[in-house]
Amino acid sequence: MRAFLLVCLLAVPAVVLADKVSEDPMERRMLDIARDLRCAVCQNQPVSESHAPLAQDMRAIIRDQLKTGKSPDEIKRYFVDRYGDYVLMKPATRGFGAIVWIGPVLLFVIIGIGGLVFLRRRLRTSLPAPVALSAEDRKRIDRARREDGGA
Amino acid sequence: MPFSLQLVEFGHLAAHLALAVALLQGLAPLLARATGIPALRRLSVSAAGVVFLLTTIGAAALIHAFVIGNFSVKYVAQHSNEALPLFYKVAALWGGHEGSLYLWVWVLTFFTLLVVWRGRREYPDHLPVILSVQGWLTVGFFGLILFLSNPFDRIFPAPAEGHDLNPLLQDPGMVIHPPMLYLGYVGFSVPFAFAITALLTNWKSELWSGLIRRWTLVAWGFLTTGIMLGGWWAYYELGWGGYWAWDPVENASFMPWLLGTALVHSITVQDRRRMLHTWNIFLVIATFSLSLLGTFLVRSGVLSSVHSFAVDPGRGAYILAFMVVVLGVSFGIFLVRGRYQQAEEAISSMWSREALFVWNNVVFTVACASVLLGTLMPLVADAFGHKITVGAPYFNLVLVPIFLLALALMGTGPLVPWRKANLERVGRRLAIPFSAGVSAALLLWFVFGNQYWVGPVGVGLVAFVLTTLGLDLNRSVRIRRAQLGEALPRAVLGTVLGNRRHYGGMVVHLGIAIIAVGIVGSGLFRSEKTITMAPGDVVEVGGERLRFDGVRQLPGPNYRSIQARVTIEGSGRAVYPERRTYLKQEQPMSETGIDSTPLRDVYVVMAESAGDGRWGMQVYVNPLVQFIWFGGFVIISGLALGLSRKRKPATESPARATA
Repeated sequence: MRAFLLVCLLAVPAVVLADKVSEDPMERRMLDIARDLRCAVCQNQPVSESHAPLAQDMRAIIRDQLKTGKSPDEIKRYFVDRYGDYVLMKPATRGFGAIVWIGPVLLFVIIGIGGLVFLRRRLRTSLPAPVALSAEDRKRIDRARREDGGA
Repeated sequence: MPFSLQLVEFGHLAAHLALAVALLQGLAPLLARATGIPALRRLSVSAAGVVFLLTTIGAAALIHAFVIGNFSVKYVAQHSNEALPLFYKVAALWGGHEGSLYLWVWVLTFFTLLVVWRGRREYPDHLPVILSVQGWLTVGFFGLILFLSNPFDRIFPAPAEGHDLNPLLQDPGMVIHPPMLYLGYVGFSVPFAFAITALLTNWKSELWSGLIRRWTLVAWGFLTTGIMLGGWWAYYELGWGGYWAWDPVENASFMPWLLGTALVHSITVQDRRRMLHTWNIFLVIATFSLSLLGTFLVRSGVLSSVHSFAVDPGRGAYILAFMVVVLGVSFGIFLVRGRYQQAEEAISSMWSREALFVWNNVVFTVACASVLLGTLMPLVADAFGHKITVGAPYFNLVLVPIFLLALALMGTGPLVPWRKANLERVGRRLAIPFSAGVSAALLLWFVFGNQYWVGPVGVGLVAFVLTTLGLDLNRSVRIRRAQLGEALPRAVLGTVLGNRRHYGGMVVHLGIAIIAVGIVGSGLFRSEKTITMAPGDVVEVGGERLRFDGVRQLPGPNYRSIQARVTIEGSGRAVYPERRTYLKQEQPMSETGIDSTPLRDVYVVMAESAGDGRWGMQVYVNPLVQFIWFGGFVIISGLALGLSRKRKPATESPARATA
């Protein structure tokens, strides 16, 4: 058991040798593009995070195309041409994607106007006569208040 | 077959009986009306207790089957095996579709019992109708469970050994996450039942809004806890360095949270100012509907594809029909009777706290509707033969401005008085928080240079909120000290404990502000590197120097593991990320290695071996992530403070006399 417990024999001399590794800048550029693309066979995962073979292939393609000097937008367009808008994590502004982009703005305007209209209407209605509570209801409220700890 | 293996059939029988009795619980008030025998209404009260008892017997039978390893039960065989630790054997009850639904209905029957317990004294006349609503929900769920996704189903011959619980779920965070979420979802069923009852019986809102306020806050608290635990689990377990991916499954729990947040605010207005009655009933129904939608979206498989919905057409059709019935009936009742009480107080001024509460509701409703749109649009498009993806970049772009607006409201609201604000005075009060916010934003801009606008704006708004909170407390404490001449700590404690509802809410706001800091820090200032390291290599990331020391083999109870050691030079502490291969699964799993300090997390994930002892590594330095979990803790504390009650005056007055 103990025999295979530690493989890190190098630990002590390593401090002295300490070899600094740095990230391949190409890899970072590749991942930045891969983050905006969806792995087509995964559930809602970007290509940058998926371990699926397809995602690995797609990462390799991005790397190759970066080497040939293509821009990020050109590379994304390449994938859209093959897989459709489906591969874009951020939907395109056409078709159903357009609805998704206009939707929140419309919702904000409509619900915002709704709130404004509600407030205006409530402002205009002069204060109504207070609802006359029956003696019985009054007693119930008092009882409920008492049981709620006097709050 | 030994007798112990047959025990599960008692549970199965109990579940069927529970369905029958729940039907009685739902029918009782209708029967009473049809037959003209009012005493029949009481049946629903007794039935609720019996349903809980029977459901519990069913759950106990399932847990027993898991613990003894009864693989003749199909659900057990699919989600457990002999080698699984006992803790996870019990938790495997909610490890799959069938058991999760069973847990849901179990929680529902438990909450129904609590309603009975409180209701026999507090609202006996309305209790049968409330229980009837919950009875019908119970029937709906049991129908789905027993006829279409039955955890009690048997297989013959029984396999000698089961599959395994999904390794991702073998984690303490994932064990508590679903029950918390369900306590939240199902918790909203109680205000829902009250709201429907109020509509049906013309129950005056003064009499019930106070009762559902506590239930709503409790449900909101559980939902918050569930979501936080989910994020925490994703962060520790999934190994992509983040905690929230805007996955449809996450959105499913976030939508009821957003609308629930609107609700906990507007219920305060209803309680304090006798307005928004009808709107609140609408919010209650909508929040519970989203809880149902959340459960079904996650459980039906419809999210992965519309087509997987059709893999089990019976189940899909049932879920759809159940949703349509619940939505149709409840909104139908709402439309017919929703306007029954218009005796609302008018708003005296646009510049009042109640008006700001209305804007809070606008903001959170827009947020919820946008998440709903983004989550469901891919399904709608798919149904029309188009495939689109709505992913994290979209949601961040759309929701972040809405949340910043919410932060701004959060800072302003507590300084604006009820009824009518003196604009000049409010302006004076806001001057200090406003300058604090602007200074903080400028400071961040100067320190970190040109950056994404959300950073400075977010931090500025947080500073604004924190200053507001401080000033609000300071004002009350000063008045109290002037009146009572107390020492500062005593006066602070007295102020906070004297108005628990208000300060409970303020502590929750504090928690939100802390989380906002954590999100800005970890979302905008994260450093990451993807590299291959040999033992002895050092990598620099986010100002930290990390040294890869090597790997070792590590046996586990039901997996084999390769564990790496990565030392953080400077502190000398190490993290131990792992690659685990579970005996029953092919795909190796990554366990993250995390070193946390309050200001930053070093987060290391092992990727594949590159040969020669070299390993692919993803290293992240995530600033301020701990603020998020701490903020969650603060939120729950604030909620507990707000829900706690003062001691009875009888015991309080002598204490004050001696003080």
